[in-house]
Amino acid sequence: MPTLAPYFGALGEFAQPMMLFHVVWATLLGIFIGSLPGLTATMGVALLTTLTYSMERDAAILVLICMYVGAIYGGSRSAILLNIPGTPASAATSLDGYPLAKAGRAQYAMGLATAGSAMGTLVGILLLVMVAPPLAEAALKFGSFEFFWLAVFGIVISGQLTGGASPLKGYIAGLLGLTVAMIGSEGIHAHVRFSFGYDQLNGGIALISAMVGAFGFAEVLTAISQRKPDLVTHSDESDRMLPKLVDLWRYKYTIFRSGVIGTFVGIIPGVGEDIGAWASYAAAKRTSKERDQFGSGSTEGLTAAETGNSAVIPGALIPALTLAVPGSAPAAVLIAALFIHGIRPGPMIMFEQPDFIYSVAAMLTYATIAIGVFGIMLTRVFVLVLRVPREYLMPLVFTLCVIGPYALTQRPFEIVVMVFFGIAGYLLRKMNYPIAPLVLGIILGELLDKSLRRSLILSDGDLTPFFTRPISAGFAVLIFVSVILSLAPARRFLARLVGRGAAREKG
Amino acid sequence: MRLDSARADQVTALVFFVLGVSLGIGGYTMDRLEVRQIHPASIPGLVPMILGVLLALCAIGLYLGARKREDGPETDDVSMGNLGFAALYTVIYALGLVGRMPFELATGIFITVFVLHFTYDRLAEGRHFAVWVGGAVLYAVICSAAVAALFRYAFLVRLP
Repeated sequence: MPTLAPYFGALGEFAQPMMLFHVVWATLLGIFIGSLPGLTATMGVALLTTLTYSMERDAAILVLICMYVGAIYGGSRSAILLNIPGTPASAATSLDGYPLAKAGRAQYAMGLATAGSAMGTLVGILLLVMVAPPLAEAALKFGSFEFFWLAVFGIVISGQLTGGASPLKGYIAGLLGLTVAMIGSEGIHAHVRFSFGYDQLNGGIALISAMVGAFGFAEVLTAISQRKPDLVTHSDESDRMLPKLVDLWRYKYTIFRSGVIGTFVGIIPGVGEDIGAWASYAAAKRTSKERDQFGSGSTEGLTAAETGNSAVIPGALIPALTLAVPGSAPAAVLIAALFIHGIRPGPMIMFEQPDFIYSVAAMLTYATIAIGVFGIMLTRVFVLVLRVPREYLMPLVFTLCVIGPYALTQRPFEIVVMVFFGIAGYLLRKMNYPIAPLVLGIILGELLDKSLRRSLILSDGDLTPFFTRPISAGFAVLIFVSVILSLAPARRFLARLVGRGAAREKG
Repeated sequence: MRLDSARADQVTALVFFVLGVSLGIGGYTMDRLEVRQIHPASIPGLVPMILGVLLALCAIGLYLGARKREDGPETDDVSMGNLGFAALYTVIYALGLVGRMPFELATGIFITVFVLHFTYDRLAEGRHFAVWVGGAVLYAVICSAAVAALFRYAFLVRLP
């Protein structure tokens, strides 16, 4: 049974002036980026990764985690004041946040979003500390057969849950990501694949350059081509920033449930904060006494959405740290950053870096405290942030998109990769393809490829162990059922079956 | 053609089908490294072959689904002029200007023109021409100098 002692020890280690300084600026920058519609947490973490190469390991990871937490929280500002989610994670927030703002309760809505985000992250941190160490230990039982299925499971589930009405587009995005991962020298025989004689492709496609393109450049194009939204900032006299404790106490079950739902959604590979928010929102709506107010300014709905999306952050880091499988797109960038800074996430993390999981939990805690403090104190400043003209901000963001990936290897080729993924990412997004499975595919491609071929060498080409080893069999059944249930004819058949059962009960 | 339309899905399905088939053929014809006597189940083309088949199957599914689907009302509020300019100009900067002249100069030109293009309506709103241009140039000089200094001196990067 894991204890909290190492976590408190890590909290003490980070209580240094320099580390606290990093917490302050990185969280503020995160909130700033998250607040601006079009700029997402993934873009913020990817761009900041390029700025942390020369930093000391713990400071660099702390900065990235503060950016991640700050940006997810910051998205609530524009969701409430502009009715445009600053990040996709805040889409559910705008449903009730914007009506509250229009009713003159903008400050109260922002206060509630702050409290919800902080508590959601704290619930997630607690689960991270409790779940990650035993999960890492359990993952030691994984062989190449299980890692193959884990990679397939990640792509299938991510594609299905982020694909919305069309899981097929999610699967295609995942397959495209895996295809990108096939470029360059493969990990077993060092044979170079799909380089077409172009030496720059021998090393494969760098994840950071692809992510900066797909999230940074694509978002610059999106932001600059859309109309300017209307800002709602008026408040009536009864509006207050600090939520009443009695309100929070009233929603204690909603907060706890949303925190747990968010964390577990985070654990599912490549799903992310937006699904965490929607799942928490739906669960709160189902059980709420004020469900008729949901969508028209419900404080409970707002709390559920913000608690849910923030709890995904620690949840997404659980598989990222213990299995090297990201729970969300920003977590995928974090994995790349961990490798850059000499940390190897995966089942061996509890042996190689036994305190690292607790350090991450401590970093998340400091970031949470920072969003709590800034969220309450700097409301007016963040309203000003929303007034920053994007015509001035976007060229600067794009300049960083160009120079950031270049700085990684000092090869102009990285700029070409960034531009390619930027345009492809923009087009795919406009055609309603989710980007998270694509990212997951790029990061899991090598694991899937190596695990499959290594397993086949071990079994001498026999496929049976893929279906007879207990964990492998479990994954195989789960994947099979998920894929079947995502097919339209199977869903129609199930709906008919349920309908017939209900009619028989009535009769 | 709308990018979220059924027609666009049919066209992309065709592209993905060709990509899938090419990937499958690429995997099948890939060197099997017999000279190195590797295990036949570990040939480098195995996963690309599987991915190619799956992508082609998904593309067929996408095409059939798109044929039955009807387009809903357009919800996206995109200015094609702004998008076209931004896409073209950013690509010109990233692949044309950077590396062919000092980074500070390329970035300064890029930011100045970008800001001037997207704030052109300020002139009509009564802003003085010199203030409009001067503001954009000043902003571009500060930004390009700051970014260049950050990467050159703080991160020790040899700028392109």
